Amino acid sequence: MGFVDFLGDNLVQFWEYTGFANCTLPHLAMIVVGLFFIYLAIKKNFEPMLLVPIGFGILIGNIPFKIDAGLEVGIYEEGSVLNILYQGVSAGWYPPLVFLGIGAMTDFSSLIANPKLMLVGAAAQFGIFGAYMVALALGFTPDQAGAIAIIGGADGPTAIFLSSKLAPNLMGAIAVSAYSYMALVPVIQPPIMRLFTTKKERVIRMKPARAVSQNEKIMFPIIGLLLTCFLVPSGLPLLGMLFFGNLLRESGVTSRLAKTASGPLCDTITILLGVTVGASTQASEFLTPSTLGIFALGFMAFIIASASGVLFVKVFNLVLPKSKKINPLIGNAGVSAVPMSARISNNIGLEYDSTNYLLMHAMGPNVAGVIGSAVAAGVLLGFLS
Amino acid sequence: MNKKILGIFLFASLMVSSAWAQGRKGLRINEVLVTNETNYQDDYGCQSAWIELFNTTFGTVDVRSCYLTNDRNNPKKYPIPKGDVLTEMPPRQHLLFWADDMPNRGTFHVNFKLDPTKDNWIGLYDANGRDLIDSVTVPAGIPADHSYARIEDGVGKWVIKGGDEQSGYVTPSTNNITLDSNVKIEMFAEHDPFGVGMAIMAMAIVFLGLLLLYLLFRLIGQISVLIKKRNAMRVHGISDKEEAKEKGFGRESGEVYAAIAMALYQHFEVHDVEDTILTINKVKRAYSPWNSKIYSLREIPHKK
Repeated sequence: MGFVDFLGDNLVQFWEYTGFANCTLPHLAMIVVGLFFIYLAIKKNFEPMLLVPIGFGILIGNIPFKIDAGLEVGIYEEGSVLNILYQGVSAGWYPPLVFLGIGAMTDFSSLIANPKLMLVGAAAQFGIFGAYMVALALGFTPDQAGAIAIIGGADGPTAIFLSSKLAPNLMGAIAVSAYSYMALVPVIQPPIMRLFTTKKERVIRMKPARAVSQNEKIMFPIIGLLLTCFLVPSGLPLLGMLFFGNLLRESGVTSRLAKTASGPLCDTITILLGVTVGASTQASEFLTPSTLGIFALGFMAFIIASASGVLFVKVFNLVLPKSKKINPLIGNAGVSAVPMSARISNNIGLEYDSTNYLLMHAMGPNVAGVIGSAVAAGVLLGFLS
Repeated sequence: MNKKILGIFLFASLMVSSAWAQGRKGLRINEVLVTNETNYQDDYGCQSAWIELFNTTFGTVDVRSCYLTNDRNNPKKYPIPKGDVLTEMPPRQHLLFWADDMPNRGTFHVNFKLDPTKDNWIGLYDANGRDLIDSVTVPAGIPADHSYARIEDGVGKWVIKGGDEQSGYVTPSTNNITLDSNVKIEMFAEHDPFGVGMAIMAMAIVFLGLLLLYLLFRLIGQISVLIKKRNAMRVHGISDKEEAKEKGFGRESGEVYAAIAMALYQHFEVHDVEDTILTINKVKRAYSPWNSKIYSLREIPHKK
């Protein structure tokens, strides 16, 4: 073999290893999806904290390479760096850490001041079980249907946690679907809220919430944990960390820990979670007919959840005295997309009465939704695992 | 201070040892074969009686230092040796011991044999040699190559198994019953094909959980308001409850406190002129080599 042939062979071999040689149409399609997510995050400001890591993760996960070369670069190749980072998703320990952060940054006082709003958070979970029924009708098995339906809880970490236990092969699609719809809350929810409410209902003024004492705030995570986890022990990883994070915040003596849990720790896990979930959408694993079904079901679950929250408030108002009526615009916040859906309630409320601020009222069902979706995930896990 | 540390250390040791003990409590004698003619062979190619243990827990359990015995009066007959990594039982897995009275052949060869002509009592004791973890009496007269086993791993009744599908196969170091599907999911698929049952049950549980939380915090809220009201009445010197109710004592909204906090902040924290203080006092700064400019500049090398 001459020197030129030697160089030629090596260059040909190199070419075979490049992304250009291994690129397929599904790869390009996924790269376009990743770019679209990044565009939505940066230009439209749709949940940039989620969509930038996920969008970029999609790009990382869909760089074509020679699969049989044993380069140990793919997220599904054992021992690769991405695979090691992905363990937090596949083994399900990122979501509880995110919940720790959520607990440490969430102020439950609006819920404690007006505890009946917890029932709104419970009602919105109907989206999960409505989607479960439709998923069964579409031919998914009960465990797959449960994993898909949890998208209706509008809670990314919960969706990842449950799908990693019930349907690991669908986790990528479920996670991307859940986070996408959470980002699209400002687009999806307002039409539903307008559809199911009258102009008169949209201007209902709610009494300002009373100030909550520190003792009540400290009791909430402790009692919340004991009550919900005695009822649904399978929700322990999520609920345990959520309430633990909240106790760190409210105890008043662990502010350093609360700051770390809600700041650097939560940010670190969010980065790793986002980028690895994005990277898990490798075209070969992701672009399947069931993915489309999951996206459709997730969308439907989201709509049912938002609608059921609003409708529940309307029904609830029938039995409440006039002075204690609830503005049904906060019903959508029963899904646990914190605080996006509460912000939507506030914005829509201001459209109809520029002095009617619903944000703090909406935070009640919003945080109740976090608890509700974690309980619902625990129930599904208990029944189907 | 030292006493405190010692106390914490003792407490931690107690917790760790009780956690271990908890794991070991999940061990079960799972299957026993007394007469081995053509059944499983050990590493030496010998066929002897065997005893299978099963870890019913979902955590790894180390059986080292536990005791296996066939004598009620001698619970410490065969101490399972330390220092062998193979004594660690992964979750829901099995471990086989050969009852060949050849302990010199390794960790898993115990120092007693089983007698096929009479009932064999077998006990598994915890590391203290007092706490019986599990025991079984294998009846006499079980045919050769038939085992005495639990129907399901770690739980349930004992039966004689051997050789055919009807009585069940002898299963050394493997599951006594083979599960090739998730029974729960199959049950849901069969009895609740439309998911209505799941929706009703699950929503009822979610509502129940949050309803309990609501009721409890309603009560706690009422108590809190009552306490605040009493305190406010004492501070304002009011004894009439109706008057206190009219003034909304105990139910002050968070907005009121937010407004007060903002006013205080504006008063104490916000300045029109930042960083500069006008004073008639003489400002005196003590000299320190640390703030001397000469030490922060590099000297030009001297030319000689």
